[in-house]
Amino acid sequence: MKLKSTKYTRRLLLLLSLSIALALLLVIFWDDESQIHSEVSNQLIELKELEARLDRDVLRVTSFLLSHYDSLSVISLRLKALEKAMRVPGQRRYKTLDASIAAYWDSMNEKLEVLEKIKFQAAVVRNGIHYLPLAADSVKQIDIDVYRQVLALLNELYVYDLFYSDSQLVEINKGVERLEMIRFSDAENQAVLNGMIFHIRANLDDLSELGELKRRYLSIASLEKFEQLHQRYEKHRFDETREKQIVIVTLSLVVFGLLLGLWYIVRSLHLAHHALNQSWMRLHDAVDNLSEAFALFDGDNRLVLFNRRYAEFYPWLKEKLKRGLSIDSLKTANRNRVHYSEITGKQLQGDLPEGRYLEKTQEGAWYLASNKPTSEGGMVCVRTDITDTKRNERQLSKLSRALEQSPASVVITSTDGTIEYVNPKFEAVSGYTAEEAIGQNPRILKSGNKSTEEYREMWNTLLEGREWRGNFHNRRKDGSVYWEAASISPLRDDSGKITHFIAVKEDVTAQKRAEDQLRMNATVFDTTSEGIMVTDADNLIKTVNPAFSRITGYEAEEVIGRSPKILSSGRHTENFYEQLWSSVMQNGYWSGEIWNRKKDGSVFPEWLSIAAIKSDDGLVKEYVAVFSDITKHKQDEEKIRYQANFDALTGLPNRSLLTDRLSQAILSANREKWNLGLLFIDLDQFKVVNDTFGHVVGDELLQQVAERIRECVREADTVARFGGDEFVILLQDIEDPDVAVAISSKVIEALTRSFKLYGREIFIGASIGITIYPEDAGTADTLLRNADMAMYQAKEHGRNTYQFFTASMQRQTIERQQLEQDLRLAIERHELEVYYQPVVKAETGKVSSLEALLRWNHPKKGQISPEVFIPIAEDSGLIGNIGKWVMKNACIQLSHWRQYGHEQLTIAVNLSSRQRELGFDASYLQEVLNETGLPADSITLEITESLLMRDTEETVDWLGSLKRLGVKLSVDDFGTGYSSLSYLKRFPVNVLKIDRSFVHDLPDDPESVSLVNTIIAMAKSLKLGLVAEGVENQEQVDFLLSAGCDLLQGFHFGRPMPAAALTNWLAGYRREIGGR
Amino acid sequence: MLNYLKLFVIFLYSAAIQCADIRHEPIQPLPLHQPDLNLKLVDLGDRLFHDTRLSQDGTISCASCHVLSAGGTDRLPVSVGVGGIKGGIKAPTVYNSGFNFTQFWDGRADTLEEQAAGPVHNPIEMNSNWHEVIAKLRRDPDMVMSFEAIFDDGITPQNIVVSIAEFERSLVTANSRFDRWLKGDDSALTDFELSGYRLFKSYGCISCHQGKNVGGNLFAYMGAMGDYFKERKKEITPADLGRFNVTGKEEDKHFFKVPSLRLAAINPPYFHDSSVETLTEAVQVMGRYQLGRDIPAEDVKAMVAFLNTLVGEHRRLKP
Repeated sequence: MKLKSTKYTRRLLLLLSLSIALALLLVIFWDDESQIHSEVSNQLIELKELEARLDRDVLRVTSFLLSHYDSLSVISLRLKALEKAMRVPGQRRYKTLDASIAAYWDSMNEKLEVLEKIKFQAAVVRNGIHYLPLAADSVKQIDIDVYRQVLALLNELYVYDLFYSDSQLVEINKGVERLEMIRFSDAENQAVLNGMIFHIRANLDDLSELGELKRRYLSIASLEKFEQLHQRYEKHRFDETREKQIVIVTLSLVVFGLLLGLWYIVRSLHLAHHALNQSWMRLHDAVDNLSEAFALFDGDNRLVLFNRRYAEFYPWLKEKLKRGLSIDSLKTANRNRVHYSEITGKQLQGDLPEGRYLEKTQEGAWYLASNKPTSEGGMVCVRTDITDTKRNERQLSKLSRALEQSPASVVITSTDGTIEYVNPKFEAVSGYTAEEAIGQNPRILKSGNKSTEEYREMWNTLLEGREWRGNFHNRRKDGSVYWEAASISPLRDDSGKITHFIAVKEDVTAQKRAEDQLRMNATVFDTTSEGIMVTDADNLIKTVNPAFSRITGYEAEEVIGRSPKILSSGRHTENFYEQLWSSVMQNGYWSGEIWNRKKDGSVFPEWLSIAAIKSDDGLVKEYVAVFSDITKHKQDEEKIRYQANFDALTGLPNRSLLTDRLSQAILSANREKWNLGLLFIDLDQFKVVNDTFGHVVGDELLQQVAERIRECVREADTVARFGGDEFVILLQDIEDPDVAVAISSKVIEALTRSFKLYGREIFIGASIGITIYPEDAGTADTLLRNADMAMYQAKEHGRNTYQFFTASMQRQTIERQQLEQDLRLAIERHELEVYYQPVVKAETGKVSSLEALLRWNHPKKGQISPEVFIPIAEDSGLIGNIGKWVMKNACIQLSHWRQYGHEQLTIAVNLSSRQRELGFDASYLQEVLNETGLPADSITLEITESLLMRDTEETVDWLGSLKRLGVKLSVDDFGTGYSSLSYLKRFPVNVLKIDRSFVHDLPDDPESVSLVNTIIAMAKSLKLGLVAEGVENQEQVDFLLSAGCDLLQGFHFGRPMPAAALTNWLAGYRREIGGR
Repeated sequence: MLNYLKLFVIFLYSAAIQCADIRHEPIQPLPLHQPDLNLKLVDLGDRLFHDTRLSQDGTISCASCHVLSAGGTDRLPVSVGVGGIKGGIKAPTVYNSGFNFTQFWDGRADTLEEQAAGPVHNPIEMNSNWHEVIAKLRRDPDMVMSFEAIFDDGITPQNIVVSIAEFERSLVTANSRFDRWLKGDDSALTDFELSGYRLFKSYGCISCHQGKNVGGNLFAYMGAMGDYFKERKKEITPADLGRFNVTGKEEDKHFFKVPSLRLAAINPPYFHDSSVETLTEAVQVMGRYQLGRDIPAEDVKAMVAFLNTLVGEHRRLKP
């Protein structure tokens, strides 16, 4: 039945879509044709109209009724446009009409050609008509008689122009001949007359030519051609219409037939549906009256049939249960409401499993379920309610579990005392397993210290049917002995006959242990070093321990019954105690530091914990206070605080304490209206001492320095170690900046004296920057920064000197800040650009690599030197983003070059140590390499010597991790810093770059020569690559080559240039090389 | 309904204006307004008209030979194309060219659209081709956007010429003094200028130079009343053959499109071969070869005065 109906539905859909398609076709066909027709009709009508207008205007031209030709221009332009539109050969709309159209347009074009001639000819004739009176006027000047004759002739001529007749022409010709016979003695006069005659003759000729043209025009059979075209089009149209009619009729018949078929199918479908419905209802009734729940799903897993019971079984499905409900949504609805388990009780995973199993609903109902597949691929679900059976089963199992899990040992014996059941607790307590115990007599447990008398008494009680209670001292299987309190009672059957005895026994060994515990607690109470005090609900002392007496000096009997207030130190406010008590009341406890007073009156800090002990009804029964003396702990704390604020090495206030004091000093300076002086001291040459003699000597030196500085200042002033080899002096209340100068001089003098360290004499010096509050700045930070800057200035002015902070430094600061702000935006504004300088292998002349160099085109200040903006970028952290940007751009650029013929080219990019903390790491570099597809060994990272010198674990790790990607490392500006062989060994460096300052003086300066030779020798021994920077002339090239350095970089080969310029340079350079 | 009523009223009103105000003369005024113009197209056409990318080497635009401030011509005997190559004929004015019944001296293009494509391909003018021009324009995002805003298919040869032609149709020098006289303003012309107009008619010049554009609506034979080319005493050039170059018919030799005289007063030199420098000479040559007589100097002066009243206004035109 079902199959049949789907078959029908398919046919139905097929026929329906077919008829719709045909109907659409019909409409389109109809519409399309009519549109084309109307277009063609319009064209033909317009053509007809234009031609009529053209003919009319030609007649007007030839009879001189048209004073200008603008209307003709419009018509001929329109005609030409129409011709273009119509004369596209093979156009569908005209089909077979091409020949007729061509014929028509040929004649029309002929007409237009003649029209152009007519226009000109008419103009010439009009020209004559216009001019003849003027010519006649000139005759009038000569001879009035002749003039009259001419005038008469002209009149006739004009009449002829308008209504020409052959007789008139004869007359005019005679008149002209008469004029021709007139002779004037004056040659000039004769010429005037001849001109007159010439123009009359010309007019006559032109007129006749015009008449000829007009005839020619009128003889052109364009109208006939039009009629032919029109007729052919009509015929064509008629044929087409007839064809179309046939198509339409056919289509209509087909559509009608289809509709008939449709109707038949719909009817059959209806009948089939009816029969289906009837049998369906019957089946439904039968199923509905089943006592089991029933549901049937079809092959698409859609619900087809279900009965009332099914709905009752799953009340939450009430709304959803409808035909067509999918099995999946049923599963979703049942999820978390129905739990599935196997018949054996094992939990089942998944929803609606096949086969027989159990379902438990959230409401507690149990169903025996069966899901069987049908032949169609669907599923039959049958459910039987087994809730009652389950409940009974559970009741029983509950009871048995109670026995099994009872905390007491349970033993059931027969009336003759044979053990029939023991529970697990019994097994645990006695050490006998159930198998061992069952069939035995409880006698096996006997330890022997219960008399036969007592046993007999027990049995008698039991056999009388009464319960017996008592204690057993039993022996376990392993021989150990334990105490049990037992209750034994007889069990009777329904008729009241005793069938069994049940013994319920409890192990009371634990109670004995609890007693021991209490005893122990009391010992702790008595012996702990922490004082304990218990007060009652009214906060009167109930008891105290010996430690209490030891700490406070009060004996127990002195304080019991009294308030703990006797201990109050008076150091805390009322409020403090209120808070303490409210915490105890609310949270049940309080702990914290508190000052109390001993019996001898001395005050001491203690760590106190108070807990409220509540009775079962929630009321406070007692308070327990536990405290310890923390006097020593306090002292330790003080020491830690000192360490946080003072430098461990020198004992001077450290940076944080200095900042505090400076802020304080600013406040008091404001109050007292006095000035402050801030001296920023930086030791000269300290680094050298540290590097040369090691940290131990350096530390010792710092201690001596601290001591000497301290001696230079007053008690009220602060000397702080600011960090490393930097010290700061804060001078309070200075009347005159000279005081600061005096102290600075003293300090410099003190520090330039020699230091004696480990038997050596060591000389260092100091540079000092001075700033005055409130003159130079208003905040602690700014003051420190100013002083720092002044110190740098002092260093630049030569060491061992002091320098005041000045306005120009201020300006520099502001400028620097401005630059920093500009730099922040430079990437976004595309002001940064990467330049590239080639490094050339001098022997072969080939370009081996490029160095990427950053340039900043500041919109106002022009190009800013990297020496200026790189330090700013480093200080402000902008180097992080800028560095990444440069790396990425350089790599992208390099990959372009490598793609376009420079496969071997590599690139060197500078790296700043700051980039380590700013996110430039191996994973970033790897990402860039992946994006650009460059091999790692095409990248060289250039680091400065100063980075090497900052020889920290982090730096080594960082460079190591980058190096592991396969990139190379090179040391820039080698020779200018203090790097030593040991640094080079520690770092994974591949290449050294000889600084330009050495190359510059080659080959004439012997010092440079020896230095460069040394570097080259060192590089060779360490197997490092070498690049010489700043090569400017051929002499330098020659020297370096002979010395063994053949990778050269400098203006001699190529300046740093933008990417585009370098592309050209590379091309040119290659040609040059190729040409060599 | 209301709309129809409005339309009807407007129709009546405009009909009344036309009928009532304009004198019945062979010369008709140029329209003051052109409501049919597509202003977006005009705007784009304006840019293209001045765009040197239309030429091969980027030196020449339409405006190079049709200088809008100077009467729509270059005022040179022959125009100069890419690489300084000289052309064969005097460049006609671009002003009012939309009213001509055909384009070029020999009428080889029917419409302005057809005309616009001519110079682009002419090796002695712009010496380029659409392929090149479009490639250049497509590189300009602004241009691409402008085209796409108007046309569905963006930059195509058709769309370029349509835009340029529409712009050229907007180049109308209306409101000349003569047009104001035509519209009834008697004070617009002096008596002398008016006498010049009368002479212009009575000598017969009006036969050819008539209509809105005072010419531009027929072909005429150069030398109807005298052999111009023989007496010119210069070798005949291909350009001198005129219409013949288009039709190939012997009878069309030396036929040229009668040029518009609207801006004749400011566009020397004269005739297709630039044979004379002044308007006075031009009028004399026309009298001799087209009318068959020498016109007295006084009459020539009056006609020149009349011709000067034909120069109208346009915001680009700075005579």
